[in-house]
Amino acid sequence: MEILTGNELMSGATVYLDRDGNWVEDLQRARVFLKEETEVRDAAIAATKKTLRINSLEIEAVTLRDGLILPDRIRERIRADGPTAPRFDRQHLDRDGHVSI
Amino acid sequence: MAMASLAFAPPKHDKLRALGIMALNGMFDEMDGVAVLRQAVADLLPGDIAIVSSFGADSSVLLHMVAEVDRALPVYFLETGKHFAETLAYVETLKAHLGLSNIRWLRPDPKDIARFDPRGDLWETDPDSCCHIRKTEPLDAELTGYGGWITGRKRYQTSERGVLPHFELTSDDRIKVNPLAYFSDTDVNAYKVAHGLPEHPLFAKGYKSIGCAPCTTIVAEGEDPRAGRWRGLNKKECGIHFDFNGAIAKPVATVEKNLFRDGAFIADPFRAWSEGDDLASVRYTHIPLKLFLENRDAVLGNPHPNGLLVSPGDRIEDAAADLGRFASIAVSFPGFNDGRGYSTARLIAERYRYQGELRAVGDVLMDQVPLMRRCGITAFVVTHAATRKALESGHLTTVNLFYQPVGVTEVPVGTRPFLRRAAEAETV
Amino acid sequence: MYRYDEFDAAFVRERTAQFSDQVNRRLAGEINEDQFRPLRLMNGLYLQLHAYMLRIAVPYGTLASRQLRMLAHIARKYDRGYGHFTTRQNIQFNWPKLRDIPEILADLASVEMHAIQTSGNCIRNITTDQFAGAAADEIVDPRPVAEILRQWSSLHPEFSYLPRKFKIAMSGGPHDRAAIRFHDIGLQAKVDDRGIVGWEVWVGGGLGRTPMIAKRINEYVPNEHLLAYLESILRVYNRYGRRDNKYKARIKILVHETGIDKIRDEVAEEFRAIANGVLTLPQAEVDRIGAYFAAPEFERVNATVDVAKERIAEPAYGEWLDRNLHPHRQPGYASVTISLKPIGGAPGDATAEQMEAVADLAERYSFDELRVTHEQNLVLPHVRVSDLREVYDALVEARLATGNAGLITDMITCPGMDFCALATARSIPIAQEISRKFSAPERQKEIGDLKIKISGCINACGHHHVGHIGILGLEKKGVENYQITIGGNATEDASVGDTLGHGFAAEEVPDAIERLIDTYIARRETPDEPFIAAFKRLGEAPFKEALYGNG
Repeated sequence: MEILTGNELMSGATVYLDRDGNWVEDLQRARVFLKEETEVRDAAIAATKKTLRINSLEIEAVTLRDGLILPDRIRERIRADGPTAPRFDRQHLDRDGHVSI
Repeated sequence: MAMASLAFAPPKHDKLRALGIMALNGMFDEMDGVAVLRQAVADLLPGDIAIVSSFGADSSVLLHMVAEVDRALPVYFLETGKHFAETLAYVETLKAHLGLSNIRWLRPDPKDIARFDPRGDLWETDPDSCCHIRKTEPLDAELTGYGGWITGRKRYQTSERGVLPHFELTSDDRIKVNPLAYFSDTDVNAYKVAHGLPEHPLFAKGYKSIGCAPCTTIVAEGEDPRAGRWRGLNKKECGIHFDFNGAIAKPVATVEKNLFRDGAFIADPFRAWSEGDDLASVRYTHIPLKLFLENRDAVLGNPHPNGLLVSPGDRIEDAAADLGRFASIAVSFPGFNDGRGYSTARLIAERYRYQGELRAVGDVLMDQVPLMRRCGITAFVVTHAATRKALESGHLTTVNLFYQPVGVTEVPVGTRPFLRRAAEAETV
Repeated sequence: MYRYDEFDAAFVRERTAQFSDQVNRRLAGEINEDQFRPLRLMNGLYLQLHAYMLRIAVPYGTLASRQLRMLAHIARKYDRGYGHFTTRQNIQFNWPKLRDIPEILADLASVEMHAIQTSGNCIRNITTDQFAGAAADEIVDPRPVAEILRQWSSLHPEFSYLPRKFKIAMSGGPHDRAAIRFHDIGLQAKVDDRGIVGWEVWVGGGLGRTPMIAKRINEYVPNEHLLAYLESILRVYNRYGRRDNKYKARIKILVHETGIDKIRDEVAEEFRAIANGVLTLPQAEVDRIGAYFAAPEFERVNATVDVAKERIAEPAYGEWLDRNLHPHRQPGYASVTISLKPIGGAPGDATAEQMEAVADLAERYSFDELRVTHEQNLVLPHVRVSDLREVYDALVEARLATGNAGLITDMITCPGMDFCALATARSIPIAQEISRKFSAPERQKEIGDLKIKISGCINACGHHHVGHIGILGLEKKGVENYQITIGGNATEDASVGDTLGHGFAAEEVPDAIERLIDTYIARRETPDEPFIAAFKRLGEAPFKEALYGNG
């Protein structure tokens, strides 16, 4: 299973593509793409690239555990929550940070 | 006939009007140029049509037909200032012989000449621009007053004109009339003989298609007659024939003006080297450095203007002694982040004191152009739209204060510390 | 220190305007990220894991107090109230918004600062010894020449798209505190037989995935030819450095693959062609720039401080005096290191309030001047010995009085995977754990001089290869794993540390370090024999055994 993630242009904030085609802050709202959905996923990537508003676009492998999305890589978990040391809140989107495809 | 009303149709591409014009094309005998002309002058566009004549080798035929229909029809002659003396004399000869009473001479705007061609050699470096200021500009101003015009173009003249009809509708809704569309070389000569028309003085000397003197050479036996025009350049139509519509012969010379030089985009007289080109005979071609080094003698023996292409990794040192032989050197930037070309350019401009055109080709983007200029590059082949826009508008954001002495144009400013240079007024 | 004249000010202003325009074009969608990336990088703007990161140049590590105050202002207004000092004597902010960058750059320009060339494949900030102009052991203050090199390299049109980044470091004397042998070019001041100061030139050093010690390319280049000589090196590198593989694109690989002798010849040939030309540096210019760096008006005082006595009265102060002072060329003065390595803290971080406190101290006690060290600390270069107590008290107030300079808890640490998009493991938590483990002052004192350097990936921003003990964080099957190297040295006795065996899980690292330390203490000849000397004498074996057991 995979999700799409990137950094929003204005704030640089970590964002995820949700089921409605919006790029949102909350990892748990991310759309999970199944193995057989690579075409949909790639179409979403292409549509996102066209917006020019999401940078560092990546496909991340995730696992569902108790209904929660858990990224396989530690790096992704840190991206979702913010730095662990010193502990800082993650970056948030500004009002003009909404991107959708 | 219904056609007459078409002349008053709204100035918009109307399907009916287009169909009407197409229909006209089937109505006349292929060889009956006079009937075609009469239809146009008397019926289709009365008082609203003119002819442009080059007074070249074949012009007498069409002018004779014009005289048959209406001696007072406006006949425009483009006095480019570059004609053979024989051509100017020939204008008077035909005028007298045919009784043409309304020949109008069009001259280029002296301001354009002063600005774009002060040395009179624009034809050599940029023939399209030369045609533009000497032909297209003066003619456009006149022709907007007419609903149509008569040309002497013929199908046989070049392969691009293979499907030329008697009547064409142009994209700006004018009508072009081509009475000689179906005439062959033989037909033209037969017509001249049959009507006892005086020859252009140069025709007997081997000139078959005569334009401005610098761009016309003798055509060899069996060669395409227009091969003598703009020989060596990738250019076959001059600007005044550009305006075609739809399926009708599309001129090759819709050369994009993507060479930025001296403050403007111009058509590029040069072309890239391509597989199968002959080193000994190519013209206006950028020959790759490696090929040049391997075939130095052949290239140096080539009498035509050519350029040199220097790619990243090439050692320009190896060609240092021969750089002056080339009319243009192209420094290749295969990716904007490949900075090798900057060193190459500085060596060419500063160390080898190369005086010709030094151009950047490849991934040429607006944010790198200022750096390229500082390294001695004077011309840019640009395909990136935003870069093109920025160059055209002169809006390149850059830092015009320089800490390093680089290039041959940067000058010290007053008492600034020794290293510093500020840009002279933007010169490129 | 150097002050901008109208030309410098206009230059930075134009550059700021240019980048503002580039930002606007990016926001308007006129350029895409691929085109924008190199432009923003050349203005110090990265996109990291959570946000943008802006890296601001601190040329040769020298700052005036008003500059540090502006950095504090930026931290507060556009960031989250702190900044991070780096191993290249720069400072970076971790949370700026793209649209604020032009304003930040304008604020910086108002105090003669910028972010130009703090990233990208160009010539980066030129670093020097943090005690330049103050150290007792220096031949010449390298900063005037460093400033000239800064100017020469700023927006150099030929060298803005090099195969890879290019770092120059300078040392004003034989004791190398700037790691010049691990830079693309290292310059070490040297006096020729006529007594004229010039530079020994080293080339092709570096860390990263292929650590290499620089090779000497020229024994002596006088000031007048330095620019032409460096331009020759850069030109050879720009033309022939590899571009097919970014991991092999640094000049160290070109030098390694081509051979130093051939490179020396090529550079010499290029130099012959451009020597005595426009790049010849007139002595007048060196003097003119040098005047900006003239020593301040020191008082003739002969105050001394009795560290042993102070230690008895107040151990923490005594320890601080013992560790955080560096001998000054002027009697009665000392250079004070302000440690940014509090126990359990994030190495190199300083809050806006701390920056302001340090700025105040610099203004009152150090001729308005401060330094950033490549070991991620700050320095007050010129403090009267008689003022030390006041300075210390103020530092205590600002929670900056950790007396651990050069000790085991004074670690170089890269931001690691908590911030960095390239990192493969976290660094800061490792540093924090080690710091806590060895927090006791007596324990640190017992261990003595020891440099631990931690990198969160193979790119080695934490200089782990040259740590006496180096720690490299990698990812192994989704888990952070740390390799330990030993025996590295960044000074004039340059060496690259060796890996002795498999890596460790994060929680095992502090204990592994402790086993190495215990071995050292047990095996050293005297308490004065430093760790690195003992390692050299003893070899790997006892340390390998400490880490992995016998067999």
